[in-house]
Amino acid sequence: MALGADRSIWIEQSGPVEPLAIAKLLQAVVEKEAPDLVILGKQSIDGDNNQVGQMLAALCDMPQGTFAFKLMIEDGRAIVSREVDGGEQVVSLALPAVVTTDLRLNEPRYAKLPDIMKAKKKPVEHMTPEALGVVVKSSLKTLSVSEPAGRSAGVLVSSAQELVEKLRNEAKVLP
Amino acid sequence: MSVLVIAEHNNLSLNAVTGSVIRAAGLIDPEIHVLVAGTGCEAVAAAAGQYQGVTKVLLADNPVYEHQLPETLTGLLLSISDDYAAILAAATTSGKNLLPRIAALLDVGQISDIVGVHSANTFVRPIYAGNALATVESSDSIKIITVRTSAFDEAGKGEGSVLIEPLDQVITQDKSQFFSENLSTSERPELAGAAIVVSGGRGLGSAENFQLLEKLADKLGAAVGASRAAVDAGYVGNDLQVGQTGKIVAPDLYIAVGISGAIQHLAGMKDSKVIVAINNDADAPIFQVADYGLVADLFQVLPELEALL
Repeated sequence: MALGADRSIWIEQSGPVEPLAIAKLLQAVVEKEAPDLVILGKQSIDGDNNQVGQMLAALCDMPQGTFAFKLMIEDGRAIVSREVDGGEQVVSLALPAVVTTDLRLNEPRYAKLPDIMKAKKKPVEHMTPEALGVVVKSSLKTLSVSEPAGRSAGVLVSSAQELVEKLRNEAKVLP
Repeated sequence: MSVLVIAEHNNLSLNAVTGSVIRAAGLIDPEIHVLVAGTGCEAVAAAAGQYQGVTKVLLADNPVYEHQLPETLTGLLLSISDDYAAILAAATTSGKNLLPRIAALLDVGQISDIVGVHSANTFVRPIYAGNALATVESSDSIKIITVRTSAFDEAGKGEGSVLIEPLDQVITQDKSQFFSENLSTSERPELAGAAIVVSGGRGLGSAENFQLLEKLADKLGAAVGASRAAVDAGYVGNDLQVGQTGKIVAPDLYIAVGISGAIQHLAGMKDSKVIVAINNDADAPIFQVADYGLVADLFQVLPELEALL
């Protein structure tokens, strides 16, 4: 709210919650709020799942514009420019629609101190899955978490010539 | 029960990453069907049938599938999903765009970006930008999976020709419409499957300087990549970005030029077989993961390398 939101909704859930459950909780909120546009980040930095936005769109029967780097609303449609593997794609979506953001969409604001103070007075609605009528289920159990095989530093070479020689004869990776 | 692989293609040709998805699918069940949905894509279906393990190709060839919009494809997938133990796609922007929709409507979870298969319900996937690997067990009745294709070799060639079954369902929707696309056309290999990648960072300093890197890449028959810093500075297009939120690559040789080695960049290339770093900052973190490091001025080294190759 210090960054500009007018109000917030806190859905309190202790314990792990999987993307499908998050999508169902958000669906319940979307049905209550009836927005024209739902904007989410494309993926979280912990789970790296990249699922919630798409799942929410499907559950709400809304079209989606994922990995958005540009967004315009024109004539009741969302024109979303998307980052795709080969370059860019633009889709036109009927509203209400779901958009997930790519880092390149814009430059986020900094929270300035006066706004942080004002944020403390903005309304926060507290909800629970029960209040939203959603049963939080999980279907993915984490059996273990490990560190990937480490990569140790190799050797320093002193010239382009030495580098080519090592790549050619030692690593054998040059064509 | 068989598994379904959704082909990655552009209507004209099958993307080789599909072969890696087929390899991963084979670890779940030996009987693999491949879905090719598009327009004028018979050649793609034929190519999909060439892989080992593929027993059937389902071909949905219709103008409505031309741009493979997820809102359209979801309907198609739901009409055939009953028969499968798992549905897999490459963790490309197409696969990532589509699969969660299918999972949600089937009321199951999705396992994203797998790098390993332990059994039909146990998989390994990276979390925290690949700084940790989680082994997860799914209790869903159908597994919806995206595959990090850099972790799986392309499947081998199969025995002979395979049945291509046309799908007649024509799914239409008008909530999402394709408007336009701007795809880079390059003679160079695609980042995703290239054997050699030459990648540039902020150190290059300008789009013009990137040409030095491109000349080296062309000498090596390599793909060109970039760090987020270089992309954000406008030196090259976004589609060349290697990193946590960009492309994940694992070539035989990754040459990082003027790249400091931030964690988010490493997330995209640390599984490369051999990593070379060229940077004039001896303290750059990239040297911690490079097999061969050269602390030098890249503007001096790049022409030298080009001459030697």
